[in-house]
Amino acid sequence: MDPAEIYRKLTSIFRDVFDDDSLTIAPELAAAALPEWDSLQHIRLVIAAEREFALKFSASEIASLENVGEFADLIRRKL
Amino acid sequence: MTLAEQPRVLTWDELAEGMAATVDFVVTPAEMHAFAALSGDYNALHHDASFARANGFDGVVVYGGLIIAKISQLIGMKLPGRDAVWMGLSLRFRRPLYVGQQARLEGTIARLSESTRVVRLRIEVRAAGQLLAEGDVEARVAQP
Repeated sequence: MDPAEIYRKLTSIFRDVFDDDSLTIAPELAAAALPEWDSLQHIRLVIAAEREFALKFSASEIASLENVGEFADLIRRKL
Repeated sequence: MTLAEQPRVLTWDELAEGMAATVDFVVTPAEMHAFAALSGDYNALHHDASFARANGFDGVVVYGGLIIAKISQLIGMKLPGRDAVWMGLSLRFRRPLYVGQQARLEGTIARLSESTRVVRLRIEVRAAGQLLAEGDVEARVAQP
């Protein structure tokens, strides 16, 4: 899957989790930039990504993520 | 069920996809009245058999909320049990459950997310061999 397709699907996931149809994401986007991005929403993002991309992450993989770009890279490596 | 009953305690490693638990139940008129008082929903469909029959049902229809209460019992007491934190529910009601009718709720682990410690349960409610409701539950296992 090419990066653009990963970002397209991630955008859909973020919009659903944060209930914001106008939300756009970029590689540098981090949790600190979105007040609603708390630990519970983070879990929802990970769950939704695992379901959408049909893969499973480890706890250490998720804990080390700093921003959307690292999340997308992790997904690309695991596909 | 009383408050004296203890929830099942399962560690994350004891959970497995395909593991299932059931709750057998019969909703009584007393539970219907208690739920009406709790919810404020006194719709005649749930208390007046004549009204229910006039609207195409075979009798007084159990509140969907009471079925959800049984799902709460399943999650909090059996699977995942004590350490469950309910995160979400998707449920479709396909057929009515009637007061006094024997029913079985079954939850089966469809997916385990190791990274988030979230369990997704496939939920089915059956009575007299028919599927009454189905859906999915997500619950986090909150263990240190």
